[in-house]
Amino acid sequence: MFKFQRNKLVSIKKDGETLAVHGVLDDDVYGLEIDVSFNIEDLNILSIKGKWNRWTSPECPRALLFLNEAVGSSAYEKDFSQKMFKLVGRKACRHYANLLAECGHSAREAVRLMQWEEAKSDNPDLTFNEYIKNVTPNLPPTSTSVAVSSGQVHPEDKNDIDRIVYEKTSGGTLIDLHVHTYPASPCSSAPVDQLIEEAKKIGLDAVCLTDHNHVWSKDDVEELRQKHGFLVLRGNEITTNQGDMLVFGMEKDIKGIITLEDLRAEVLAEDGFIIVAHPFRGFLIVGVDEMGLTPEKAMERPLLKFVDAVEVMNGKVTKKENEFASKVASGLGLPATGGSDAHEVVEVGRYATHFDDIIKNEQDLVDALKKVRYSPVDIYSTVTTKQ
Amino acid sequence: MPRPLVFSRNRCTAVEQIDEQTFKSTCRLQDPLNDAFVQITVKLPDFEITGVTGEFYRTCQDECLDISQAFEKMKGVRIGSGMLKIIKGLVAEATGCRQLGFMIEECCHGVILSFTKDQLLQLPEGEEIPVEQYQQMVRDNVRLFNRCAAFAPGSSMVEGIDLT
Repeated sequence: MFKFQRNKLVSIKKDGETLAVHGVLDDDVYGLEIDVSFNIEDLNILSIKGKWNRWTSPECPRALLFLNEAVGSSAYEKDFSQKMFKLVGRKACRHYANLLAECGHSAREAVRLMQWEEAKSDNPDLTFNEYIKNVTPNLPPTSTSVAVSSGQVHPEDKNDIDRIVYEKTSGGTLIDLHVHTYPASPCSSAPVDQLIEEAKKIGLDAVCLTDHNHVWSKDDVEELRQKHGFLVLRGNEITTNQGDMLVFGMEKDIKGIITLEDLRAEVLAEDGFIIVAHPFRGFLIVGVDEMGLTPEKAMERPLLKFVDAVEVMNGKVTKKENEFASKVASGLGLPATGGSDAHEVVEVGRYATHFDDIIKNEQDLVDALKKVRYSPVDIYSTVTTKQ
Repeated sequence: MPRPLVFSRNRCTAVEQIDEQTFKSTCRLQDPLNDAFVQITVKLPDFEITGVTGEFYRTCQDECLDISQAFEKMKGVRIGSGMLKIIKGLVAEATGCRQLGFMIEECCHGVILSFTKDQLLQLPEGEEIPVEQYQQMVRDNVRLFNRCAAFAPGSSMVEGIDLT
């Protein structure tokens, strides 16, 4: 049965020193068009004009107000698509970002074709393939360093928000096991110093830095501990073919995507510990019932054989998704942890893990994780005061 | 006399439901430099990619001619949050064929959007989702807040929502 179709069309004409690019995205749900003008020399975006033909929510038309966020970006930039999703996708609309990325890549190809046509005037027999093998493809003729706005709310904008302060009633150690800082995680906007100060302020005992595929140096973390008089620990959120894994007690710097099986072997070799992060993030948006996904079915997922624990309280997923993860962990008898997954300063400590033991360093943390003397904590359900 | 276009591209993605639990999503790309197709098979309820096939009939990138190894790596990957960086790492970066990564992404987006379409079809004709329902969606799923212009401060869909 035919379910869905999307057509994207890009057409480009030369207009003096610029390329006039018209993009159309038309599918069963959305219909939109853009006209983008690129400077041919550096492929900088000079102007963008958008038009909706079909949309879903009453506020979708607001997206047009923010398309100009991409003006000044160059289609020659290494991660042009990613940048479009950051600038236009988050502030305007991801479908416009998708179409802008398509237009940018097409503009790049158009320039290559035009340059080949020029080269043919000296050598009429030159084929396109011969031409591109002798030039460095997709590089700008000049440097294209362009100031990049992160496209995210700056932490200072939110720092005046009253925060909940956690009041511990028992001993042990309360740790946010999952936080991201900028620039170690490009998707975060939380400077590490501010994040640590916030963690102290709200009553955590420690934070564990789990930046994406990033190994913090021992010295840098020690310096942070001294500077803030606060326990700062190291972890790593590693992207595998089966999703994100929080890894503790491993020094190896993993780059690129690794299979979960290979990661497991690496972690075992260093006697570390793996927690599957937000295992059902986004999976329940369509509706569990419609998909027929039950905790019992989810327990059969092979990935759960390769992890030591499950993150059942994550600050970036829905309550339903956390509850679902909790049922799966409990059904399999796997330990459960909590972490905020903070990407902004004010998000730290939304969830955490309470260890019965006193944790003083990374080895203590790995030992405690293996002893399973801990439980996830929902800070909002345990707070007593507000600042 | 207007000059002809210097470049044009057509990318079409279509999704078919094979049986209750199986979807096929196919992306075709045609432009002066590329002629290619990629097809993924997806199983519910996990949205797991169980098969990938495809071919570049015309390309100026040698890396796009030998892509079968990337198909194997994609098996078992689930469509959903975080999939883009997995596709980028397993396909685009591993093979050097960036276009292959884009085509698989389009196939995945198509599958997700086919469910969006189904949800919209459940609404009675001419009826729109009330703003209050969007507001409840944001309360239920904090990730929606600030995800795009429609869910950003200033929009009626997030009016009165206190996420602190």
